[in-house]
Amino acid sequence: MNASSDTMTANPQALEVLQGFPGTKLEQLYRQPSTALAVFRRMLPHLAKTIVMAMLYMPNPFLASDLDAWIRPDAVAEKEQALLVLTSLHIMSTSLQAQGPRAYILGKAFAKSLRQALTGSGEHKSFGVPCRPPGNDVVDVKTLDDHARRQWEDILYYMVGSTTVGVEGQSHISDATKSLLELGNFVDKRGRITQTGFTFLLQEVNAQVWSLLIVYLNRAPELLKMDSVDILSFIFMLGSLELGQGYSTANLSSTQKQMLDDLGDFGIIYRPSLKTPIFYPTRLATTLTSDASALHSSAAAPTPTFDTGLAGGSGAASKGYIIVETNYRLYAYTESMLQISVLALFTRLTMLFPNMVTGRLTKTSVQRAIAQGITADQIISYLAAHAHPQMLKSTPVLPPTVVDQIRLWQIEGDRMTTTSGYMMIEFATEAEYRDTVEYAETVGLLVWKSDAKRCFFVNRIEQIRSFMSNRRAARA
Amino acid sequence: MNAIDGTDRHVRDSDNSPPPSLLTVILDTNPHAWALLSDTLPLSKAVANLLVFINAHLSFNHANQVAVIASHIQRAQWLYPTPHPPRSSSSPEENGTSTPTPPSATKYHRFAIIERELQDNLSRVISQTTAADLTSSTTTQIAGALSIALSHISRATQLSSPNDSSGISLDSTGPTLSNPTDTPTDPADGTPRARRSPLTSRILIVSVSGDLAAQYIPVMNSIFAAQRQRVPLDVLKLAGDTVFLQQAADATGGVYIAPSSPSARAGLLQYLMMGFLPDARARAALVMPGGGEVDFRAACFCHRRVVDVGFVCSVCLSIFCEPLEEGECLTCGTRLSLGAAVAAKPVVVPRPKKKKKRKVGDITGTSTPMSAGTPGP
Repeated sequence: MNASSDTMTANPQALEVLQGFPGTKLEQLYRQPSTALAVFRRMLPHLAKTIVMAMLYMPNPFLASDLDAWIRPDAVAEKEQALLVLTSLHIMSTSLQAQGPRAYILGKAFAKSLRQALTGSGEHKSFGVPCRPPGNDVVDVKTLDDHARRQWEDILYYMVGSTTVGVEGQSHISDATKSLLELGNFVDKRGRITQTGFTFLLQEVNAQVWSLLIVYLNRAPELLKMDSVDILSFIFMLGSLELGQGYSTANLSSTQKQMLDDLGDFGIIYRPSLKTPIFYPTRLATTLTSDASALHSSAAAPTPTFDTGLAGGSGAASKGYIIVETNYRLYAYTESMLQISVLALFTRLTMLFPNMVTGRLTKTSVQRAIAQGITADQIISYLAAHAHPQMLKSTPVLPPTVVDQIRLWQIEGDRMTTTSGYMMIEFATEAEYRDTVEYAETVGLLVWKSDAKRCFFVNRIEQIRSFMSNRRAARA
Repeated sequence: MNAIDGTDRHVRDSDNSPPPSLLTVILDTNPHAWALLSDTLPLSKAVANLLVFINAHLSFNHANQVAVIASHIQRAQWLYPTPHPPRSSSSPEENGTSTPTPPSATKYHRFAIIERELQDNLSRVISQTTAADLTSSTTTQIAGALSIALSHISRATQLSSPNDSSGISLDSTGPTLSNPTDTPTDPADGTPRARRSPLTSRILIVSVSGDLAAQYIPVMNSIFAAQRQRVPLDVLKLAGDTVFLQQAADATGGVYIAPSSPSARAGLLQYLMMGFLPDARARAALVMPGGGEVDFRAACFCHRRVVDVGFVCSVCLSIFCEPLEEGECLTCGTRLSLGAAVAAKPVVVPRPKKKKKRKVGDITGTSTPMSAGTPGP
């Protein structure tokens, strides 16, 4: 399966949303250099970035034959993947010249914005207008982190609260956020957590923020009469802001000003008071378009010094707290009710100590979680992501026996797998069939084939379609 | 059922996120060489192109890092990041002016910082160069710069600790935000780490000056150190011709491009963006420029001459261009005695007529181009 390759760098949810946008809207979106930079960094597969950068300052269209010569034959699958993402995001298109060989060009708006982002030129002010607060009440990074943590934990508490006794009544989230969670189907009408909600809970913070923002993006235009391009470009702008720096609200559009309140509720931005025209992005915002850990307790200096410049965006190690033994026993050094109740989703907890809980991963507890819609992979990645430093010293981090057993427990329920896709039939010639099926196999789309019946099954059609039309054009 | 096979698991883990990459640029700031290039490619233009290239590198991945070192005529100097603390005795006046200016609204903050620091440091390097420095030397301290770059890389590799180095899945704090109060052990307690840090590093040398024969030994040592650390040395040779940098690129698996004509130099940015921007991961999927003939000649240890044929100490493998007068190796002190037959010149003496017709490869057995001498400074 090649589907994993587009999640390598890209944020799958946000990528899907962007791919669903019509070309004109994307064009509008790419006019902001900060957006172009964020899309480039966060949405594109690695090879696609390389291709875009090679083409960025190229005066002529990039000939398809040159591109083929540049990329190794054994990386065809990656190339096709990169080209697919680039064309679906309207970043790259085939040159319009009817005569001559096939060539690729970058979208004008995207190329111009990305060049502006790299050179820092233009008059766009899309990287935020910094401003100093009146007086000397500068907000420090710790305040911002506390605000982000408090607001975001409140949301999680609200969701978990419906399942666990003891954490109820700890959340104070606004009605707007409540209704948003309901619209996103994270909780149902009575405020009880749903399957989507469970999946949401086990994601890492960055993915959670994106999930929530995407619900916001999908729903806000119709409910609040907001412009989706404005919303997205604001989100991308937030990702390129600097932690600990105040920004002026003066040159935001009306939609974006409206968003400030909601984003403040999520803990993504912080406003000292509603009167001053200034906002501070929190760590949740500044890491939106990076894959660095979204919430650190250690506050990195806002400007990289010699030492933190070295550490780069990767930041300090986040502290894990879970130890899993080969006998399925689990020890979690935590006091947080939130963490305990998340663990309780798939663990049979037995003992509670002042600073730790113990439990076991049992067949019943794991299968109960699976019945609630949590997947084995989510459990495993949650355990791995929060593994105790002591666990991190071993490779692999989690005991293989436990990992395999969790997967087996899930598979017990799945006797049948379904793949949605396309059946390709009625090929005119044997050669056409053979070429196409070979291509499908190299790009990793082929699910099943029958040479005798001259038909095969693929899970995605776009690349096959373009391959077949190119092949036909080459023949004609 | 393949999904639960143990072999599958590790491959997927490492595949999930492209590793952060550290780019160390060594900029040759030899004033003599740039003066020669000033008509076609002034230093300011080259630095501007280099900044765009650095920004492009940083925009690949949030965790990508960059370091820039100037290889000047007298010393190698950091351009970015600025070493802290700055020597207060040498530049007391700067402490007053170091109030951080607010970031610009049209520039990504990180790009702006790098641009400012690099230009400040570069102008300081240039202003601190005295006339005496210029007359005393015409070459560049590439060996020193390489050593600084390699030690920086090794430090950065160690700093990217196993916890946050293993990709997205491991450096997240997950849905739970409060920190555990009790952590019995610290991951940075010096215990040997089981995981190899995935920070991939490479060095790009933007070279303009020729003749590095004087630094043959330190340069070669750096090359071997880079080879050992698996750091590719990419070389962009804008002017001059040095044997050793080509050998460096060849030995470490780096890219060697020498745009020598003025029109080729005008496309400097395109060379950078297409030839040098792909990191180790992207290079695996690309056909990288390279190949061509590599000049494998060495410099002798006694006079730093580049030699095709020379004398080699049988104990320590030091190379000498002519028989030693004392008969004692200059490096290890071993007494060497040459047989009477080869006591004279090592160049094949008889039959001078046939020597012209003879093919190059016959003499050394390698692909050494005999015709291309190394030009002087």
